[in-house]
Amino acid sequence: MKGNIQKRIIKDKQMYLLLFPVILFFVVWHYIPMWGSRIAFQDVMYIGANKWAGLRHFQLLFSSPVFLKVFINTVIISSMKMFLIFPLPIFLAFMLNEVTSHGFRKSVQSVIYLPHFFSWVVIAGIFISLLSSPEGVVNQIMVFFGLEPISFMTSTKHIRWVFVFSEVWRSIGWDSILYIAAINSIAPALYEAATIDGASPFQQAINITLPAIIPTIITVFILNLGFFMNAGFDQVFNMMNDAVINHVDIIDTYVYRVGLMQGNYSLGTAAGLFKGIIGFVLILSTDRLSRKVTGEGVW
Amino acid sequence: MKRFLITLLILVVMSGLVFAGGGKEESTAVAGGEIPTIRIVGKDFSPTEDVNLQFLAKVEAGFQAYSGQKVNLELVQVPDGGYAEKLNLMLMGGDIPDLIYFQGGDEAVSKQGLLVDLTSYVNKSTVMQSALQDFNKQRIENYPYLLWLAAPRARVALVREDWFAEAGGKVPVTVDDFYNLFKTIKSNHPDAFVMTDTGSTSRMDFTFDHAFGLTATWVKQGGSYVYKKVSDAEKAKLAFYQKLYAEGLFDKDYITTKWDTMEDKFQNGVVGMVFGSSGVVCDIYDTKLKGAQGVGFVALPPAKGVGQGYSISSAKETRGWAISATSKNPDLVFQFLEYMATDEGQLSDRYGIEDVHYTVDNGTYAFTDKKGEWWPRINEVMSYKGPLPTLGTLGYESWGFLGDYVVGDPDFPIPSDMAPTWDALSNLYKEYNFKIITGEYSIDKFDEFVKEWYDLGGDKITEYAQGMLK
Repeated sequence: MKGNIQKRIIKDKQMYLLLFPVILFFVVWHYIPMWGSRIAFQDVMYIGANKWAGLRHFQLLFSSPVFLKVFINTVIISSMKMFLIFPLPIFLAFMLNEVTSHGFRKSVQSVIYLPHFFSWVVIAGIFISLLSSPEGVVNQIMVFFGLEPISFMTSTKHIRWVFVFSEVWRSIGWDSILYIAAINSIAPALYEAATIDGASPFQQAINITLPAIIPTIITVFILNLGFFMNAGFDQVFNMMNDAVINHVDIIDTYVYRVGLMQGNYSLGTAAGLFKGIIGFVLILSTDRLSRKVTGEGVW
Repeated sequence: MKRFLITLLILVVMSGLVFAGGGKEESTAVAGGEIPTIRIVGKDFSPTEDVNLQFLAKVEAGFQAYSGQKVNLELVQVPDGGYAEKLNLMLMGGDIPDLIYFQGGDEAVSKQGLLVDLTSYVNKSTVMQSALQDFNKQRIENYPYLLWLAAPRARVALVREDWFAEAGGKVPVTVDDFYNLFKTIKSNHPDAFVMTDTGSTSRMDFTFDHAFGLTATWVKQGGSYVYKKVSDAEKAKLAFYQKLYAEGLFDKDYITTKWDTMEDKFQNGVVGMVFGSSGVVCDIYDTKLKGAQGVGFVALPPAKGVGQGYSISSAKETRGWAISATSKNPDLVFQFLEYMATDEGQLSDRYGIEDVHYTVDNGTYAFTDKKGEWWPRINEVMSYKGPLPTLGTLGYESWGFLGDYVVGDPDFPIPSDMAPTWDALSNLYKEYNFKIITGEYSIDKFDEFVKEWYDLGGDKITEYAQGMLK
């Protein structure tokens, strides 16, 4: 076995050499920093060795009167983003695949990729301006059609939907790239045969395109679950205000205020570790479930 | 050839990976011989900007003339990002400069004994005793690790001078006077709001808090201390704000307004009144309004009622300079701070670089066009009188209000183990505050808020306050 591995490495040494920088990158920037997570169990000392604190920082985190509320907000906002937004780039990729004009398709792709490169500071400014009441464009259109204006940014009923919509606007194009690539890799002969057999474009999409990209969809979904507890610090931080803070305050914004702003890095790390463990468990359990149900998993 | 190219590509990628973090920057000043070095870290005070290096060279020469001691001043670069966060990470990494500017996050550091107690230095220094204001001295008594010579950050009410003149031009005194002024302005400009704030009512509170009896963070009510935001006086103030909002005097979008959109609003005539930090900020707003509308601002004093004033916390400095306990020359570092508080030091710090930000011709000083690009790097002593005024008329007028109305607030820092509860209580207040002001809740809901506040942990913090404020 050992000899086989050595032989394979020697045989494909150029490939392994190419792989080496990537492995080094992950070891240096992702695995070694994990050792720093131990400060969740320590009191950080500026001079001298850190002091062991046990689970005190976790107790402080969980004992906060708002922790449960913050945790629920995180789960709600993440779930809305995860389950409502996830299918949209797939639909978009399907629709773009049906566009026959090469020039038009490229133009549309360029336009929908663009918002991905805007920072959340800029996007928050745009949405606050569009959705303000009553001067914002959206409210002016609503008033034109006889509807009552709504203060979307300060309404506890609407603010989470603003997060979902702005997230869709920003990432739907970019997230569709992977699916477009997967669709492009399907053999054209399958479509030609289906066309000869009289399959409609919809039937082709359902019976050829969808099954072909299912592994990609499952892989992306499972990997996304790993970031489930990341409800989007930049977005929430830039769009939240006092009127809705109790409905949109998530673990990340809470830790930023109570932990990082006050130099309490142990508390911040404890929260990060808590989120990481949930993400890890979600990835593993979903992978197992997916293997049982569809036979496909991440690994 | 193909193999060679692949190997070359791999080497390039690997070297890029290894050196991606960039090389360690050379220090900006070289310690030579016995000349001691003071390493300084400050916000927006980067060693990569020539103007900062020129400033340090000038200060080094001035300090030598003042103390007879040569010194190397070396700036330390803080990584990009939020200053307080990056500074603490830098200190945790073991890079601890002699002189450190904090803008939050200092308590965790001082608790571990990393900062020098400045009490004896300040008490012995005649320069500091004359430069420090009373509230600064109180803050150093309570928290002796930060030194900050600057005007207190009170927000002064600024109203458009043309709208103010149209409304009679009489400076309001009581809350009723303010209300009548607002009503007149609104009737003259029905499409505009009279005033706005930025995401909360914290700026306008400076004008109205004392009038309603909110004269400190913890106020006496029924013989014991009560947090001001759950006091009866707060209820009366919120009822007043609710009226302003309902009558269209207060901006409907104040909650989503940020500092930049607030500036847009007064420049575009959407509002006629804002609240600006005393000093140079008032001048900046004045200049911007003159540029946009051709008129300036008039500064208004705080409203008079139960009290009249601007509360300035005497708990501790919220920002300022600290000397590291690991410094080899703490006496020298303090002497440097002392020099910067003298007239010579202030001339450098307030005026900038000669022939860049100002000129001197036969003893006559004049600012250049680049003066607007300069800001004091170390301190801004309020009592300093230089050859040229560093503030405009409105800026000095707002400083005058500080002299007349600043009141010390015997506040205290909330302990870190109570921080999560305090955060929860603050959020609860924010929600009720907004809903009451906008009319979603009636003012009667305030009593429900007070009960909820105490139940959520406010009772324990109030108990703690009784002990702290004895």
